[in-house]
Amino acid sequence: MSFKTNGLIRLCFFVCLLFSSLHLFAQKKITGRVISSADKQPVVGATVQVRNGKAAVQTGGDGAFTIDAGDNSTLVISSIGFDKLEIPVAGRVSLGDITMSTTNTQLNDVVVTGYAVQRKKDLTGAVAIVDLADARKQPVPDVVNMLQGQASGVSVVSSGQPGQAPLIRIRGFNSFGNNTPLYVVDGVPTQNVNDLNPNDIASMQILKDAGASSIYGARASNGVIIITTKRGTGKVKVSYDGYYGTQVPQGGNAFNILNPTEGGQLLYKAQQNNNTLQAGNPSNQIPLGNPIYGTGSTPVLPDWLVNGNYNGVAVTGGFKDGDPAADPARYFADPTGANYYQIARANKGGTDWYHEIFKKAPIQQHNISVGGGNDQGNYLFSLNYFNQQGTLINTYLKRYTIRANTAYKIGSRIRVGENIAYSSIENPQANNGILVEGSAIGFAMRENPIIPVYDIQGNFAGSSPKGLNNPRNPVSIQKTTANDRGIAGRLFGNVYGEVDLLKGLSFRTSFGGESYSGWNHFYHTPDFYDAEPQYTSPSYTEQSYNGYNWTWTNTATYNWVKGDHNLKVVGGMEAYKFINHNLGGTTLGSFSNDPNAVNLSTGTGTTTNYSNSNGIINFNPNSPNYQAPVGAGESLVSYFARADYVFKEKYLLGATFRRDGSSKFITNRWGNFYAVSAGWRISQEDFMRDLTWITDLKIRGSYGIMGNQFNALGTNSYTLYGSNKQTAYYDINGTGNSLIYGLAQSQIGNPDAKWEQDGNTNVGFDLTILQGKLSVSADWYNKSIKDLLYQLTLPGTQGAAIVPAYNVSKMKNTGIDVMVNGQTNITRDLKFTGTLTFTTINNKITQVNANGTPYFDVDSRRFNGSFIVRNQVGHPVSAFYGYKVIGFWNSQAEIDAANQAAAKASQGRVTTYQADAGVGRFRYADGNHQGWINDSSKSFLGNPSPKFTYGFNLGLNYKNFDFTVFFYGVYGNDIWNNVKWWTDFYASFPGAASSKTALYNSWTFDNHNAKAPIQDAVNGSNASTNTVPNSYFVEKGSYLRAKNITLGYTFNNVHAGKASISRIRAYLQAANLFTVTKYSGVDPEISVNAMNAQNGATDFGVDEGSYANPRQYLLGLQIQF
Amino acid sequence: MSIKKYIGILSGLSIGAAIVIAGCSKGFLDKPALGALTSGQINNKDGLTALLNGAYAALDGQGQNNTAIGGGNPWEASPSNWIYGSVAGGDSHKGSSISDQPPIVPIANAQEIPANGFFNNKWRALYEGVTRCNNILKTIAISPTVSAADKKEFASEAKFLRGHYYFELRKFFHMVPWIDENTTDYRQPNNTDIFPKIEQDFQAAVDSLPATQPSVGKANKWAALCYLGKVYLYEKKYAQAKAAFDQVIPSAYGGPGAGGTTSNGLSYGLTDRFEDNFDAATKNSKESVFAIQMTANDGTNSIANANGGDMLNFPYNSPFRCCGFFQPSIDLANSYRTDPTGLPYITDYNSTAHAVKNDQGLKSDAPFTPDAGPLDPRIDWTIARRGIPVHDWGNHPGNNWIRDQGSAGPYSNKKNLYWQASMGTYSDQSSWAPGSAINYPIIRFADVLLMAAEAEAQLSNYAQAETYVNAVRNRAANPANILHKYIDDSHPMAGFTNTPAANYVISAYPAGYFTSATALPAIYFERKLELACEGQRFFDLARWGTAAQTLNAYYQYERQFTGDLSTGNFTAGKNEYFPIPQQQIDLSNGTLKQNSGY
Repeated sequence: MSFKTNGLIRLCFFVCLLFSSLHLFAQKKITGRVISSADKQPVVGATVQVRNGKAAVQTGGDGAFTIDAGDNSTLVISSIGFDKLEIPVAGRVSLGDITMSTTNTQLNDVVVTGYAVQRKKDLTGAVAIVDLADARKQPVPDVVNMLQGQASGVSVVSSGQPGQAPLIRIRGFNSFGNNTPLYVVDGVPTQNVNDLNPNDIASMQILKDAGASSIYGARASNGVIIITTKRGTGKVKVSYDGYYGTQVPQGGNAFNILNPTEGGQLLYKAQQNNNTLQAGNPSNQIPLGNPIYGTGSTPVLPDWLVNGNYNGVAVTGGFKDGDPAADPARYFADPTGANYYQIARANKGGTDWYHEIFKKAPIQQHNISVGGGNDQGNYLFSLNYFNQQGTLINTYLKRYTIRANTAYKIGSRIRVGENIAYSSIENPQANNGILVEGSAIGFAMRENPIIPVYDIQGNFAGSSPKGLNNPRNPVSIQKTTANDRGIAGRLFGNVYGEVDLLKGLSFRTSFGGESYSGWNHFYHTPDFYDAEPQYTSPSYTEQSYNGYNWTWTNTATYNWVKGDHNLKVVGGMEAYKFINHNLGGTTLGSFSNDPNAVNLSTGTGTTTNYSNSNGIINFNPNSPNYQAPVGAGESLVSYFARADYVFKEKYLLGATFRRDGSSKFITNRWGNFYAVSAGWRISQEDFMRDLTWITDLKIRGSYGIMGNQFNALGTNSYTLYGSNKQTAYYDINGTGNSLIYGLAQSQIGNPDAKWEQDGNTNVGFDLTILQGKLSVSADWYNKSIKDLLYQLTLPGTQGAAIVPAYNVSKMKNTGIDVMVNGQTNITRDLKFTGTLTFTTINNKITQVNANGTPYFDVDSRRFNGSFIVRNQVGHPVSAFYGYKVIGFWNSQAEIDAANQAAAKASQGRVTTYQADAGVGRFRYADGNHQGWINDSSKSFLGNPSPKFTYGFNLGLNYKNFDFTVFFYGVYGNDIWNNVKWWTDFYASFPGAASSKTALYNSWTFDNHNAKAPIQDAVNGSNASTNTVPNSYFVEKGSYLRAKNITLGYTFNNVHAGKASISRIRAYLQAANLFTVTKYSGVDPEISVNAMNAQNGATDFGVDEGSYANPRQYLLGLQIQF
Repeated sequence: MSIKKYIGILSGLSIGAAIVIAGCSKGFLDKPALGALTSGQINNKDGLTALLNGAYAALDGQGQNNTAIGGGNPWEASPSNWIYGSVAGGDSHKGSSISDQPPIVPIANAQEIPANGFFNNKWRALYEGVTRCNNILKTIAISPTVSAADKKEFASEAKFLRGHYYFELRKFFHMVPWIDENTTDYRQPNNTDIFPKIEQDFQAAVDSLPATQPSVGKANKWAALCYLGKVYLYEKKYAQAKAAFDQVIPSAYGGPGAGGTTSNGLSYGLTDRFEDNFDAATKNSKESVFAIQMTANDGTNSIANANGGDMLNFPYNSPFRCCGFFQPSIDLANSYRTDPTGLPYITDYNSTAHAVKNDQGLKSDAPFTPDAGPLDPRIDWTIARRGIPVHDWGNHPGNNWIRDQGSAGPYSNKKNLYWQASMGTYSDQSSWAPGSAINYPIIRFADVLLMAAEAEAQLSNYAQAETYVNAVRNRAANPANILHKYIDDSHPMAGFTNTPAANYVISAYPAGYFTSATALPAIYFERKLELACEGQRFFDLARWGTAAQTLNAYYQYERQFTGDLSTGNFTAGKNEYFPIPQQQIDLSNGTLKQNSGY
């Protein structure tokens, strides 16, 4: 190959500057300096060309340039984000400061898409470009949270838990399993961007349709988010960006819990209700009272709560002052929990358990970056420290991230560079998870408020005194995690090289990925103070994991421009490999309870260990004994090509093709994915020229196929046998304490599994009017997904081995995404900007399994055996399902009449209209009009997916003041408020905490117009109250939230002594300031249990104690030197 | 280096390597499973040994980390059948408070519905056992290096276990699909009675298993014969049942021959102490025909192999912690009343005159004196009751250890309790509720004697039947079997006095007592007393055809005291079997049909 040294088109992937230098007709050197109209700062890297000539230079770090040009020539100056400028030399030698105006339309902005860069005006696919300036105003720890309400087509649900990855969906649901989009960070695909420092990001694009994302073939179905990290430009720039603030949990009575006096009233009420209902049955009359409230005719608050053994006699319950049972001299607590005599002072005022575990907490972030660059290279270093203490005690995220991005030119045709970041993360999350029974939050709604946090000796108090049922002390659950430690590290990035081979042809290779490792340990001590202690001996668990994945991408790009034709072709191949290893163990017992003295080697009891290698990162701090199933490494090999053609700057055509091979499949290893797209910039047509108010109008459309293989495990194809000690080992020798090796089938294989196929149609337009004052992008899409991989429930006759994914399901998504941007100068000093995003979600399951049941149920909770959620053909994913409550049975006569009617309707077969129907209990709707109630009377009760979500950003700039507000809302979703199961039914767990609703708004013989059913101490828990899923638990979940309000002030060019600071901005910010909602729970923004995040697709929107998003107040400072 | 060389090296390397990966993509894309074996690695003797051990391991119905083996909570698939055999059979209450584990309430009241997930999880656990046995038989067929003799041994043990799993399925669900090593379509209909196939499996085991085994946990020929006899008894094939039992009962217990032995070669017999059958220290005794081997502190830090299915069944607010389930019924306690001659009141034990005094409705600090009337000593090894020693844990304090007397009565279960002195060895405290190394007896010799008695009585051999029953009663009367009072109530570990804990009076039936009128009621009642709280009662009542009468009377009586049986109403011809799980019918594409009445 031979290369010409001149006449070379330089092509850079990250800035896509296209400029050519023509033959020189040097006459004299012309100098000048290019500055921006906006901030009078130098424009670095602007291209200065001689019109019709070959000479071209770039401005340096100070904006200055020198170029050889003739006296009569004209210089053409261009730079991204600025209007192109033509300056006649007119015989001058120095042109002085040349001011470039920032481009209003941003149409010439270059965006990074799949393996290519494109001008925004040339895009034919649905690509949402995130306004990072707006997005950064949120004090968020991770990039996913930045997207909430900022990009149409994207929905993000976050929780208040530090470090919990938010749930993100691009255009709704695409599978029953993993719906997390593919992130491509500096060209490296990943599914984890949790530790990416938001300050390091230069741009973010969301590829939503097949036209844009199908080039990522196998992993594109969930949408693709392209993230590019920052480069240094110009002279050395140092900037600091930081904030400090406080987070305030919601106040008030979070779960509407009764105080101890009221708790006694409810106990008596529930017992009296039983006795009234059982009036005809003397033997079922129960005596009033319990060991806490005494046995008098009215409840009496005890002074002391006691539990223990005294001289071999058990003493337990509530006691009055002066009772020998409460004699402090009897107090005794054995740290092993085997023996104790515990005395606690009854908290007559009531312990506010919610606020015993949710406290104000600080949040801070500091970021320093140093960057610079010229035409020979650039560099950027950054250091980020993020520390968010959770409002739930002992949860936090502490993260350090360092980044180094560099790029160099070697000669004129080779560019090499790297982008790399290392993060160190400490992130203890809520013990036992969130939104589930068993978490500290779950127990805060259950632990009776008469129990104090601590007993008379400062040990934890608890539910062990009889009469308080079995909740665990929520404070102890969180506080005993104080000594747990964990740290994770992750290196993520790539190195790349680019070379210009021929005119228009360049080659790029990039090798990148991640290498990560982590370690953590947990230590639990006996909790004899709880009625059902979880631990009788200290338990210590330690685990570690490490793994890597790499992606190697090689692409060749050819750019051809001739006359009105502009063609860009990219071809390439990619390989990917992933493996993960886990190692851990648990030991019981220890000489002392000192957490510093314990490790896996020093336990006194049994020690277990485990190790495995698989495709699942088994970092699951909440499930210390979790042993991942067997696994396999994963690999992919791909070949791909794309072509984008523009004719006359108005007719646009695009096509992509990708062929992927996956290690997860055997007989159908390879899949082909293609997309075609077209656009018409109709505003460029002559007939539109007169409509001067239209700056730009483009209509576009695309169709294509995207793939997905996330939902098959690496071992999906194999039939395997495993040797689990708990399930397959057996003590065949009868020793009583040792096991012999055993095997059982662990995995059923499906060698015929293949790619999920997502057929995607998209039609949209981009409209810019009034010289960029207003722009609108809107898209309609239709996704038809077939061959969905789904782990069918097989008949029990096939055994209990892990079921593989089969390609049996289908679903459909249609929707509209709209994004509106507006900006205008109201007066010379007062500027207004606004962004509105609007996203609809409309998902429908079209097939679960062609040969089987058209639905599957998930999430049973305390409704043992019946499920809250049904995923059924014709309905959206994760719909709530159960009996519809239409009122109460107000008298036995009503029930008798219904039974008679049922007998008539069934010709005597059915004598009971509704199971467990009783006075004061729920009456259910006869959903299928059969004349009686049974399983088939259930109906769909709600949809946890909103009909639409919306966000709007409004910004005002007045001189140096800036003010923005950001609202985010969801509309039309339902929430399953399972908190009510615990609080609104006395009989759910008698003696535990109950709600005001249970006492004041439950059915009574005098009040039939109530919310909750009759509170019945003996038979209150049944199929007509709370043992089956019913609509009592379903609530509207719509909300509008003031996510962010910020007021800032900027000082320019501050000189303090010798230091020159180009810019200082200080701001005050309030996040989550208020929420408008009818939802009765703590926070309508219900995410998923972190332990379940990967599988959350078919089960979400169930509130059983959420980690609410706290209110935040921040003071921030941005300094640029 | 010149630029051209850079270009050349860079592009050359990249393109070259790209070609390498592309060329090797076949190998690159082959990722073997890690941490598991394929069928090609286990088709040998060691593999079969491990598969067989895995098939035994499914006996306990337990998966990992506190789950049942096919999903659901551990207790839903407990092999002790405490829910389905004992609670449903009136031995016991569900226990705890009425709202805790509510799906058990309809099972206790004969109001179960097919959608109850408990049945589904029990079904799944049993078919997982079947699957493991079938995998052995499948692997035998593809194991060229295994000798014919070894294959026979593996196959016969697999068939014994498969017979057990299917027997459980048959007695639970009546008509169930048969899946064996040749089945490829797992959606088989349930239109054929599988008893003949169960017989075949046990017969194969009888024919091929050795009399003794190198491991005590393994089934032997004699166990297979006992089980075969049990199958015949359920089929009402009394002559065949008798023939089987005749071979296993030693002459010392009235049998015609030398009798059978346990796998470790002990001649079948009754232990002196009834309690030894429920103590981990004395497991695998001569009475243990076939038992599930339980372990404690086995290195798993879990109770999956330690009676995980019975983790709830300990007195509440007690040193056992959790969870107050499985409380013996008042009806059961009353059954242990004896007349002054030491015989039971078979029909009117619940009369006011005979009912056993209890502390229902009394707080623990209210004074209470235990019943002073004559009692069968087995009561105090079966039921933990107020004022009577609970092993070496102290006298039962009554209400303090009961979660809700109004729900489930005043008693606690005792057969699953471990001793304080040996709890470090035989209990497992690694979970939120305890486990233990006490074996669960699938068949113990006392059961064999009573089954044999039943077969003899059905064949009108009343004297022979009485001999067998009296063997069981004589063991109960053995002085070694009497519970005594503590030396010091406040120091229960200090030992026992020689003073009986209650007024124990028991005797064998007088010679000639058994007649066509008295034999069967006496045998049935003896089974109730001897095998109480061992998960047998419901299935006995169902096969005798007395379930409706017995249980409806039980509901009537027991609901005077407790609130958990308010809807009890047993429908004859329906409730003798549990419903085929609705989930399984849904998954079967219409091949499974529901049992009649549901």
